[in-house]
Amino acid sequence: MKFHSKGRTSKRLLAITAAAGTAALALTACGSSGGAQTGSADEGSITWWGWTPDTSVAETYITAFNEEYPDIEVTYRNFENGDYKAALRAGLQSNSGPDVFDIALGGDVADFATFGDFGLDLRPALEEQLGEDWEDAFTFSNDGLTREDGSVAGVSMGGVASGMMWINQTMFDEFGVEVPTSYDEWVAACDTFREAGKDCLAMGAQGGSGFTTETWRSIVNSIEPGLWYSALEGDATWDEPAFQEGLEMLLAMKEDGIVRDDVTGLAQYPDANNAFLSEQAAMVQMGTWYAQYSREQSAIASMEAAGVSNPTPFVQLAVPFPAVGGNSPEIFGELDYGLAVNSRSDSTAAATTFALWLTGTEEGGQVIANAIDLIPGLQGVEPQWDELGLVEPDVQIPAIQDLYAQAAEITETRNTLVTADLAQALDVAAASVLEGTTSPADAIATLVASQG
Amino acid sequence: MTDMLTKGGADASVPSTGAGARSHGRAPASRRRSMRAPGFPWILPALVVSSGLVYFCIGYNGWVSLLDWNGISPIQTFVGLDNYVKAFTDPIFWGTLQHTVVYFVVTYVAQTVLGIVLAVLLHSRVRLAGVYKVIIFVPVILAPAIMAPVFRIMFAGDGPVNDFLAAIGLGFLTQPWLAQSSTALGVLMIMQIWNTTGISFILFYAAISQVEHDVIEAARLDGAGSIRIVWSIVVPSVRGTIVALAMLSAIGTLKLFDIPYLVTSGGPNFATEFLGTYIYRQAVPLGDVGYASALSIILLVLALGMAFVLSIRGNEERQAKKGALR
Repeated sequence: MKFHSKGRTSKRLLAITAAAGTAALALTACGSSGGAQTGSADEGSITWWGWTPDTSVAETYITAFNEEYPDIEVTYRNFENGDYKAALRAGLQSNSGPDVFDIALGGDVADFATFGDFGLDLRPALEEQLGEDWEDAFTFSNDGLTREDGSVAGVSMGGVASGMMWINQTMFDEFGVEVPTSYDEWVAACDTFREAGKDCLAMGAQGGSGFTTETWRSIVNSIEPGLWYSALEGDATWDEPAFQEGLEMLLAMKEDGIVRDDVTGLAQYPDANNAFLSEQAAMVQMGTWYAQYSREQSAIASMEAAGVSNPTPFVQLAVPFPAVGGNSPEIFGELDYGLAVNSRSDSTAAATTFALWLTGTEEGGQVIANAIDLIPGLQGVEPQWDELGLVEPDVQIPAIQDLYAQAAEITETRNTLVTADLAQALDVAAASVLEGTTSPADAIATLVASQG
Repeated sequence: MTDMLTKGGADASVPSTGAGARSHGRAPASRRRSMRAPGFPWILPALVVSSGLVYFCIGYNGWVSLLDWNGISPIQTFVGLDNYVKAFTDPIFWGTLQHTVVYFVVTYVAQTVLGIVLAVLLHSRVRLAGVYKVIIFVPVILAPAIMAPVFRIMFAGDGPVNDFLAAIGLGFLTQPWLAQSSTALGVLMIMQIWNTTGISFILFYAAISQVEHDVIEAARLDGAGSIRIVWSIVVPSVRGTIVALAMLSAIGTLKLFDIPYLVTSGGPNFATEFLGTYIYRQAVPLGDVGYASALSIILLVLALGMAFVLSIRGNEERQAKKGALR
């Protein structure tokens, strides 16, 4: 093809370049991270993204919020753990992201190090609502969600602890099985369940969501208390003998039938979770967030989601991880997650109202506490035990109270010191041993090499 | 086609004038220019979009591959070719290439063979041929997100596949298909073959329709059996389709993501990790966008190289055909 003239050719080339350059600039433009409040504090429509809580729990929060702020519409969107980071990354860098979002201290779901800069500074709003000493109002330190310059990227929703087991007490009673406190007792208990056609410990090692690592950590905590946390702090190395012993015991759990043969082909969510909730498995290792399924309403909803039609809720209880290594392993935990307000939101004022109502008011704190999804984050607030609608209050209330009391004595954090890289390396080590392609010794060697 | 256009121009019926005729029967240059449609402005918007979105993104990706960056932080550290060195010394990266080669070879051969066989069979006088065509093609329209949970259930340790094997006396073959490195990739390949054989079937069915019926009749009269006819007449006739499918399969395998991600998440122990899933793993959960970009550039180079090689092979065969016809 020929241009009509060289002059017109040059002009057209310039037009193309300008258009392409404009398009390029539009593509690469980073949005501003303005810190001022936008929109009305009492009305508007906002979205909240999170990997937790479950949608049904979030809706109870929102319903309670709307009793005081009926003109602020809140839409919650729940993501699977593995999908949240990808969605949040794209959302926060666009103009269609959430107004409020969950943010964690560490780990590989939505860590503060990656997403903290997107949070609107909530310090002024916190000081206005709770005073200069606002930090004293919270059970868990907010330091992990505070930037170096003192600005606050997120506010604590509540705490979490892991390292315990959840059992189907109804199934244990049905088959006459006692809660195991040692490895041998555990194997014996599992033999009974397997003979009845049930799985023992529901576990999924696929996808690297960290739960298999937490089982490994509990084993090591039983073998040599405090070693795992020392390694996280950098005071111990991952080639200490107890780590390899822990992997050997993890492998033995598969060989002895405590976990299924195809554990590396299953994911903790949804497979292990569904197996427990559908009463296919007698036990599962989950954290304090699992207490929410002690409520009859939540139990029914979750069992239905697991594929059970017309479910009859069972009694679930938290029990200590068996002392497989000779010591009763301690649980570990920290601030689970906070709520952050997207600084690019067009409704930061309404979003701040919602976030601070939920986290910083007695009414919001009570709603969170009553969901028993989180260890209450606000000082002086505890679940209204008699109003929770538990499946069997006489048994479950003391158990959850004891669990929360243990959580108050926690000395080891869960994910604060865990980078995404370390989390993957630990998951790979555990999964490769369970799969059988790597010996515990080789897995440890690979882990040590990966961490330099 | 160019030759035809040139010949058409040379034989143009436009009457030549004394002043403008510089060659036999051709219109003057000024009239030729006025007769041509000014096409460039019409493609300009598409050109700007493709340049801005596609090629700019490739270039930007190349730039990011030279950085140590998490994709979000304002801090970007230039590291030169370190990410590429990391890739070439990364055993998981080489594993993804190995899986890609195996996956491509197995699925392509299986789909091609099945596609040709099914197309040949349905070209015969078969009752309810239309029903069979629908059955063969239905898997193509199913989204991987729907197939993935089904296959995970089917191939679970206590799933229907193992139940079936046990029921027919092959209980010794039961195993945790998705939980071990030795079989997980095979399950994904089965899923892929089931999902996309319908496409190869449709393409071969259409290609076989172009085969001269007289040639086949003549072969039969000469005593050729069905298998000989398929091998010596049908297959050579659909060679173009075979090459085209090879290119599509190769590129599709190179950028494979949905099936391994949804079924096995690249596991167990990276046994079903492909470049697509590994790029995602590095970019999102691990936040190493620089390294992920380097892997993306390598994937692009591999795809271009593969397309080039297959294109050359196709041209060579066309040239060989032309030579045979002369």
